Amino acid sequence: MGIRKAVITAAGERQRHLPLQTMVDGQGRNRKVLGLLADEVTSAGIEAIAIVVRPGAAELYRDAVDDVSAEITFIEQKEPRGYGHAVLSAADYVKDDSFLLMVSDHVYVSDDPNEETCAHQLVRIAEEEDCVVSSVQSTHEGRLSNFGAVGGTLFDASRDLYEVNSVSEKPTPTEAEQSLMTPGLRHGFYLTFFGMHVLQPSVMSLLEEGARALGPNDQLDLSSALQKLTKRGRYLAQVMKGRRYDLDFRHGLLIGQLAVSLSGQYRDEVLSMITDLLARNVQRDSGNQPVI
Amino acid sequence: MSSKLREIITAKDRDKRDTSLEAICEALSFEELVAECESLDRFRRESDNLYERVRALFFLYAIHRFYLPAKLEGMSTEGATISFDAYAHLLERRFAEALDHFLSDQASVGHSDAISSALAKSYYELALQDLADQVQSSVRAVRGNQWMFRTGALEDYPLHVRPELLQCKDGAFPVIHERTAVRMDLSHSAWSDIFFLGMDFPSGARVLNISVDLAVHGRDTHPRPPVEALFRVIDQPVIRIASVDLGVSAEITELGDVFNFAKDYLGLLKAALIASGIVPMGLEGSGQCLSVLLEMLVGPGCGFELISCVNDIPKGSRLAVSTNLLGGLIAVCMRATGQTRSLDGPLGEDERRITAARAILGEWLGGSGGGWQDSGGVWPGIKLIEGCSAQEGDPEHGISRGRLLPQHTLLGMDVISSEIRDRLRDSLVLVHGGMAQNVGPILEMVTEKYLLRSVESWEARQESMRLFDAILGALQAGDIQLLGKLTTENFFGPLQKIIPWATTFFTERLIDAVKAKFEDDFWGFWMLGGMSGGGMGFIFEPSRKEEALMRMKVIMADLKGQLQHSLPFAMDPVVYDFSINEAGSSAELLKGDAALMSPGYYGMTLPLLLREDPRTLSQERRAEMARFQRKADSDRSYDQVRDKLLTNLFPRLLSGDFAESSLDHLLKANGFDPLLHERIQEDMRRGLIGLSKNRLAASSQVQDVGPDDVAIKTTAEDEALGRDALVNGEVAVVTLAAGAASRWTEGAGVVKALHPFCKFDGRHRTFLEVHLAKTRSAGSAHGTLPLHVITTSYLTDGPIRGFLESVDHYGMSESVSLSRGRSIGLRMVPMARDLRFEWEEMPQQRLDERAQKMRASLRQALLGWASETGEGTDYRNNLPLQCLHPVGHWYEVPNLLLNGTLADLLSQRPQLKSLMLHNIDTVGANVDAAMLGYHRRTNAALTFEVIQRRLEDRGGGLARVNGSLRLVEGLAMPREEDEFKLTYYNSNTCWIDIDQMLTSFGLTRADLGDAAKVAQAIREFSRRLPTYITLKEVKKRWGHGQEDIFPVAQFERLWGDMTALSDVPCSYVAVPRLRGQQLKEQAQLDGWLRDGSRDFTASLCEW
Repeated sequence: MGIRKAVITAAGERQRHLPLQTMVDGQGRNRKVLGLLADEVTSAGIEAIAIVVRPGAAELYRDAVDDVSAEITFIEQKEPRGYGHAVLSAADYVKDDSFLLMVSDHVYVSDDPNEETCAHQLVRIAEEEDCVVSSVQSTHEGRLSNFGAVGGTLFDASRDLYEVNSVSEKPTPTEAEQSLMTPGLRHGFYLTFFGMHVLQPSVMSLLEEGARALGPNDQLDLSSALQKLTKRGRYLAQVMKGRRYDLDFRHGLLIGQLAVSLSGQYRDEVLSMITDLLARNVQRDSGNQPVI
Repeated sequence: MSSKLREIITAKDRDKRDTSLEAICEALSFEELVAECESLDRFRRESDNLYERVRALFFLYAIHRFYLPAKLEGMSTEGATISFDAYAHLLERRFAEALDHFLSDQASVGHSDAISSALAKSYYELALQDLADQVQSSVRAVRGNQWMFRTGALEDYPLHVRPELLQCKDGAFPVIHERTAVRMDLSHSAWSDIFFLGMDFPSGARVLNISVDLAVHGRDTHPRPPVEALFRVIDQPVIRIASVDLGVSAEITELGDVFNFAKDYLGLLKAALIASGIVPMGLEGSGQCLSVLLEMLVGPGCGFELISCVNDIPKGSRLAVSTNLLGGLIAVCMRATGQTRSLDGPLGEDERRITAARAILGEWLGGSGGGWQDSGGVWPGIKLIEGCSAQEGDPEHGISRGRLLPQHTLLGMDVISSEIRDRLRDSLVLVHGGMAQNVGPILEMVTEKYLLRSVESWEARQESMRLFDAILGALQAGDIQLLGKLTTENFFGPLQKIIPWATTFFTERLIDAVKAKFEDDFWGFWMLGGMSGGGMGFIFEPSRKEEALMRMKVIMADLKGQLQHSLPFAMDPVVYDFSINEAGSSAELLKGDAALMSPGYYGMTLPLLLREDPRTLSQERRAEMARFQRKADSDRSYDQVRDKLLTNLFPRLLSGDFAESSLDHLLKANGFDPLLHERIQEDMRRGLIGLSKNRLAASSQVQDVGPDDVAIKTTAEDEALGRDALVNGEVAVVTLAAGAASRWTEGAGVVKALHPFCKFDGRHRTFLEVHLAKTRSAGSAHGTLPLHVITTSYLTDGPIRGFLESVDHYGMSESVSLSRGRSIGLRMVPMARDLRFEWEEMPQQRLDERAQKMRASLRQALLGWASETGEGTDYRNNLPLQCLHPVGHWYEVPNLLLNGTLADLLSQRPQLKSLMLHNIDTVGANVDAAMLGYHRRTNAALTFEVIQRRLEDRGGGLARVNGSLRLVEGLAMPREEDEFKLTYYNSNTCWIDIDQMLTSFGLTRADLGDAAKVAQAIREFSRRLPTYITLKEVKKRWGHGQEDIFPVAQFERLWGDMTALSDVPCSYVAVPRLRGQQLKEQAQLDGWLRDGSRDFTASLCEW
């Protein structure tokens, strides 16, 4: 299976500004967050990217990706009916192809010794295994309320792969202990979504089923469709060699920026600035005058 | 040597594994028993399997409790005392260390009754501790519960209140209103829902559990789910909790207070907060800030309110009200924090299971515990609950055969049709008989008997399992008459064979009365819960159910009236209306104008709010009051609340609860000496007397007695001498029956002498009847019926007199007389220093971890009560009879002189020379010819019967104090460890030489007619005896079957101190335990029955 398409969702109310924030990338260039994400996507060999936006917002985002090598398509989500609904908006674009799905308010930093990006790691595994793969990370139960989570069994330890048998959106630890316990993880830790999946087109029909059953004020989530996928074939979760930073958290942009900078070529310069900042702060707290 | 018992425990063959202990042990010699003990002790140390280990421990307990002592009779007891150091291990729950110590003592001094008693206790406690630890560990390991123990810092806190509950509209936060049923067990399948049993014998653990709605007949209009729990967000950063039924509320601002269960009456709500994960268990003692937790949970500046309500269903209903309330509270908290899928409607099966597991956790936190079926009200309708085998992946796998949590199978309308359900409802009358008893000892007995596979009880369990199938079949067939027959058969057959104490005199009289009234239309009796007397079911021919509803209340009230002095009734009997609840625990989300708490909540809170300046009330509170007003105007169900509200608005007289005038009248009528009382009160306040001052001087040397100090055997000459005296009518019996039986009924204040405590010759007999039967037997044997005096007090005189008249003195009216006490005391609020001395200085049994925390918290509250009420002040805030106390049994003998009883005896039988004085609970003591002869031969003024001390015999003993031989009360021991040096314990059976006693008082027989001289002599004499301050527990009842226990101070003078007077010659004789054993607690009864004591007592009686 060759994966050539990607879908990035940017239609959420909270994603109005974050994808357009300017950050400094690992090479010291000013880039929009959406541009950074598009770079991540193209690093995985993706040739075409669809960005799901709210109606009339395409122009706002166009500048952010004008220097990206892949073909860019903007898709409007007609009404705000949830994350699953945003993904479903790309059904016609995806057609019969598998695709990489990403959110637009995260940035990713790879820890891979071969410097393979997170998206590349995921796409490679999905192509090797020819199945749905979600990238995941191990998360403490105290932070489960921020993420979708999966439970499963170890599939291939050498590649950090798990076979998923249950999916739940923002579970409580009570639910997680009952249905998401994964052997091999530390007590109190669960596999939570990394904001990056390779999905097959069958997910669209599941989302369509869900959309038809929606009540007037209901939202369509993706996790329910992913839960159904667990019964339809192999569904793997890959523990990423990397970290993701949700820019929507308090200080999310700051931490995300630091992470990106500390993984780039100006790492030493940034470290020295941080050290200086810390030293001044400590001196202020202790009441001492700065040495310099 | 191979061990037969070890083979039984490890046998793969089920029949062999089910071999009873008694089948083996009865045939073993002393040496073989000792060898079995050694082998079992090694085995229990080596085995990795919990149940093999526990069974070995129970075997060891039973051998040391029942089989070895019988083989030890006549063997030397020299040096066989119980080590205090080992005892200290036992108190601190270091059972394994205690065992090592006792076993080492046994190895050095040989086997003895004393050390066997200590070993029996240690093995028993270690076995129960192992089982309790396993249940606790399983509860913690239940998936869904584990994280709560891991969350030790607020950074990891994971819960958030669902956003729907934060939407405040027009000043109203939405309210979740959870309603939960209670459960009844239609089968009473022989306590098979005990965790230990279900985990070892899952195939034998089955119950037929029905969720029911209740109404109190004649009070409520219709049955409804009795348990309600409500949750809402509030605009204050606190946790507000309230129990509507108890009328108590609290605002929690400190995290530590959530874990302080006994601080108020809100322990159950606090347990629910913890067990639901809102305040995770891991945060206990973390010192973290509640406001930070609330900010994470609810949001800045907000908190929440949780209230409970059981619609005034009385406590002790045996319908598991408190467990289901806990379940309802946990469910509502889980809904609020997104731990269930839905905010309203019924719970899903997985949600019910986690609720049930957490209810078990909550009960453990609160130091209580029931069976695994108790949370059945969370499930709907009729269900079969069964133990299930532990499978791979279960936390219990490899540890126990069964899982902690059973499996629930709902029996739908296709299995039991609605028409059958109606038939059941049309025949069954549920009642609460009014008795509230502690069923804890019963559950321990069931566990023990199961593990020992006692022949009778094991066969009974098999029989009960067969009856279970028959009951289920009868219900499915809709044959309610057969169902009634089967439940009755179960009660009178297997249940009583397993636990004879499941029945009570009250229950049996009640069944007889119902049978007499309804004859063939009474289809059957059915026991609910741990034992009968509280919640019970009576099944009738449907056309007579209405009549039965009316009559049952009258019959029960009448019986209670007759037995209220004999048995501990906590409340007036109640008849319920009920219906089957087909929803289980279910919730409704109340929004807008409907967002109100329960009506009773407003009856409790509005009077306080109305007294506040309206301008200081928050906007939400004002809006809520307006909503309440609109609701109360339009909803008839609020009529009662309006009345209650009006009542609560006016101040109540604090002293109106209890009739003070009645107390003063009683004091006056019973010879209360206000001057003496004031002197004692003053001395107590000043610290001149008190618990620490009861002790002999610290320099006193206390040593064990020598071989010549106590007669071990009586002789044929003694017996002949005694027989002559009995034939000649020279002896009378004095039974001490003035006491309030504090330990027997845990402070309920009933007359112990009249307690029908055990069946003899086919029916329940009172202590009094047993003693008179022994005297009758002695009379028959010697041709002269000994005179028999029963000493009474303000508390016991009327009831005993009335009772004896009602039974025509058992045909002994000529020889039986009563000696009414002439002294009375008024109890006092204890001094905090005495409470601390009792709790901190005296050795105490350490409890299980949670129970220990509960006790510490309760004690803190009691110290607060003593200091707020006034240390050393009169204790008057209870029923008058609970405020008075008898002043110790020393006064009972002088009373015989003061009230003319002795003079009457002597005028009736001038030849009378001796009295046998004994406690009401020394049921094995009789006017034994050999004992009497020994007493005569020694020419002592007083001869005391002593028994060889066992571990449980606490409270002094026979000692040489600074070289002088005397009895020392436990209160007077200069050091705790001194008591453990003593071989003999006082049975308090005392033979008195009348003339020598009179001489000691400075009197002669001729002086007995001179009341003033007698009174003066006794007053003079009494000054030579010490006054002890003691703490007694008294119950205070309130609400619907609620009980509080308070420690109160009183003073006593004790007969044993006569032995300290050098001019009163005393002798001592060692008697067998069967004769000298005292029955102080009802929990002793089962062992007393099984070790042959009951049969021994029966052999002394002539009915």
